[in-house]
Amino acid sequence: MSASPFPLIPLCQLPAGETGRILRLTGDEGFCQRIREMGCGEAALVTKLSGTTMSLCRVRGMRLALNHRAAIGILVEHLPLAPR
Amino acid sequence: MAAAPRPGSEGADPALPLPAHIAGPPGRRRTPPERMPVYALVGNPNCGKTTLFNALTGLRQKVGNYPGVTVEKKVGETYSQHGHAMRVIDLPGAYSLAARSPDEAVTRDVLLGRRADTPQPDRIICVVDACNLERCLYFVHQILDLGRPVIVVLNMMDLTARAGLEVRPAELEEALGVPVISCAAVQGRGVVELRLAMSRRELPLARHSWTVPAPIAPVVAELQASLVAADGRPPLIARAEALLLLTDQDSVRVAGSTPLSAVTGAVLENWRRRWTGQGTDWSGTLIKARYEVIHGLCREVIRRTGDCGPSLADRADALLVNSGWGWLAFAAVMAVMFYAIFALAEYPMNLIDGVMADLADRVKDAMEPGDLQNLVTSGMIGGMGGVVIFLPQILILFLFVGLLESTGYMARAAALMDRPMSRVGLHGKSFIPLLGSYACAIPGIMATRTIENAKDRLVTILVAPLMSCSARLPVYLLMIATLLPGDAVPAATKAGLMFLMYALGTAGAFGFAWLFKRTFLRGDPPLMILELPPYQPPHFGEILRQMLERAWLFLKNAGTIILAISIVLWFLSTYPKHPDPAASPEVQIAHSFAGEAGRALEPLIQPLGFDWRIGIGLVTSFAAREVFVSSMGVIFGVEGAEGDTAPLRDALRAAQWPDGAPLFTPLVCLALMVYYVFAMQCMSTVAVVKRETNSWRWPLFQLAYLTGTAWVVTFLVYQSGRLLGF
Repeated sequence: MSASPFPLIPLCQLPAGETGRILRLTGDEGFCQRIREMGCGEAALVTKLSGTTMSLCRVRGMRLALNHRAAIGILVEHLPLAPR
Repeated sequence: MAAAPRPGSEGADPALPLPAHIAGPPGRRRTPPERMPVYALVGNPNCGKTTLFNALTGLRQKVGNYPGVTVEKKVGETYSQHGHAMRVIDLPGAYSLAARSPDEAVTRDVLLGRRADTPQPDRIICVVDACNLERCLYFVHQILDLGRPVIVVLNMMDLTARAGLEVRPAELEEALGVPVISCAAVQGRGVVELRLAMSRRELPLARHSWTVPAPIAPVVAELQASLVAADGRPPLIARAEALLLLTDQDSVRVAGSTPLSAVTGAVLENWRRRWTGQGTDWSGTLIKARYEVIHGLCREVIRRTGDCGPSLADRADALLVNSGWGWLAFAAVMAVMFYAIFALAEYPMNLIDGVMADLADRVKDAMEPGDLQNLVTSGMIGGMGGVVIFLPQILILFLFVGLLESTGYMARAAALMDRPMSRVGLHGKSFIPLLGSYACAIPGIMATRTIENAKDRLVTILVAPLMSCSARLPVYLLMIATLLPGDAVPAATKAGLMFLMYALGTAGAFGFAWLFKRTFLRGDPPLMILELPPYQPPHFGEILRQMLERAWLFLKNAGTIILAISIVLWFLSTYPKHPDPAASPEVQIAHSFAGEAGRALEPLIQPLGFDWRIGIGLVTSFAAREVFVSSMGVIFGVEGAEGDTAPLRDALRAAQWPDGAPLFTPLVCLALMVYYVFAMQCMSTVAVVKRETNSWRWPLFQLAYLTGTAWVVTFLVYQSGRLLGF
């Protein structure tokens, strides 16, 4: 994985309305595999819609709800500008 | 709406041939084979498979706007354009062939031909949500590896414009090399085109190919060879299984997995050890490789036409899930539901009451007085009518559940509830089975199949019967009517008392979940990822259909089980006859078989404030909780001289202990409701828990702990009430 010029933060800390790129998945292997299969793997862009204890976000056009324990294991780089 | 037919695949044929592996070698075939072709309907959760299944087969399986409605396979038949029968299997939604939950395992096992009770599908219909194409194509990509003829259905095409997308089916068909049908199943668009595609004599195999990443390729080849040689798999299935074994790090865990031969197991273990030593993430590498192919495909097929900024739905989600308003909205929905159950149902209930009373009067006039007349009026009409009267209230409950499911609010409520549920060790996904159990514990318990973790699933199953199901509604309503009679008491007070019972059951479920998760079902706090479906206007036709289906089930139950128990109970409370023909009804029933049995039970329930007549109701209602009401109707109808037509609640209010003290005091009514909140009074639930846990251990444990809790809590309520002077 190439080093990111942006700070690496857990998804739950990504501010609402901001976009990040998933760089690393940590925690339970089975869970990591499932979220990769759902399209939330490394390099996917994620837009946080709201929340910290329950993170609502949009990934590849789908809307997902992740609880705090799930969102804290998804490390993203905070992109300064939402790509279109 | 289908994309242009591919050369060699166009044209339907009346004599749809079966695939070679079913029909056998052409040269030796003399008569047409009888087995009809089998289609499997697969796809991600909540992408419209069951809606399409219903449209194709004419069946009416339940559909809803949340993931996990279908948790077991459903089989139906449809016909090709020339009238040839085709079997269609609707499979539970899955994100991947690497199953993570029991419902996904059903889909994987059927597709891989591992189920002895289901033929391996000859052709596969992959339903994809056109608004979430990239994610859905991951599963399609795995399916194409199976080497079966595939039809891709691009469902929800009517919603793509709203999502700011333009999806091009022809380009997708060109890229994949399989028929792609554009569809809006809810509106019935695209179903004819799908049937035409299913009727084709030949379906092309996918032209899709993808390069397995170089570090993984040698092991795929070695595993494939081993699966063919040592496990007897056909070569194409063997390749798909090899890829699956590498993706599914826990492939043997989920129920239904076929054990691998020692040779293949050793190959897999050897490679895993090697990769682990090198730090290679084989699973992530494979998934990433697939998504790279899919991403390239989507760039050709999808054009973004609109802004992807926050939508109205995003704002609504933020409000309903992540703010105090979410809790207010949830409380308001529940309050309106309980209020409506009382306020709206009054008129149809009075109507049913009148019809039943009129029927009893007519029968009474038409028949000679005697045992037969008494059987028909008290045993049959009284017993059944006492339950049927509650039908409107049950229908209102199902109307609200249908509205929550149809609009997409159910998934939001699950996300909202995750936080309080995580405090007791459950996660939001348990909320949908638990909420479903308010209607009936049986589908609720079956819905736990969507929960990945076995311990979390078992905890949810064990506490699901604590959610007050619709069968408890007649008991609560009868007790509330006895406790708070007449119109002088506002409907809101009655609704509040009813809400209290539902809240007590819910609190009990949370309490026991907390206890189980901290003792014998201890596990890590659950992780939850839940896909939120789009908001949709309610499909009133579908809701009405589900309400009618529920009404029919309720009436069928009333006309069979409840009627039979009412007749048996009438017999037991009428015979043997007292030697003195002029004996009062009270003396007669005390002399009967039911009286004898009830008195034997009385010492056990007297500390709860119940007499032997209530005891008979508790025993008979183990068949189904609502039987308690019909049992009271029969028992008190027999006892009271005017009992045939007098409302049951008046008969209950007049009932006395032998010393003349009233039996159904407000405290006893409350204690009885509390007993029904906790007691597991349902044979069908015991049976379904046995099936879902594949053991008698858990249903028997559940029966013991719930019945024990019901007795203890009711005892505490009744005795505390007495100490306080009630």
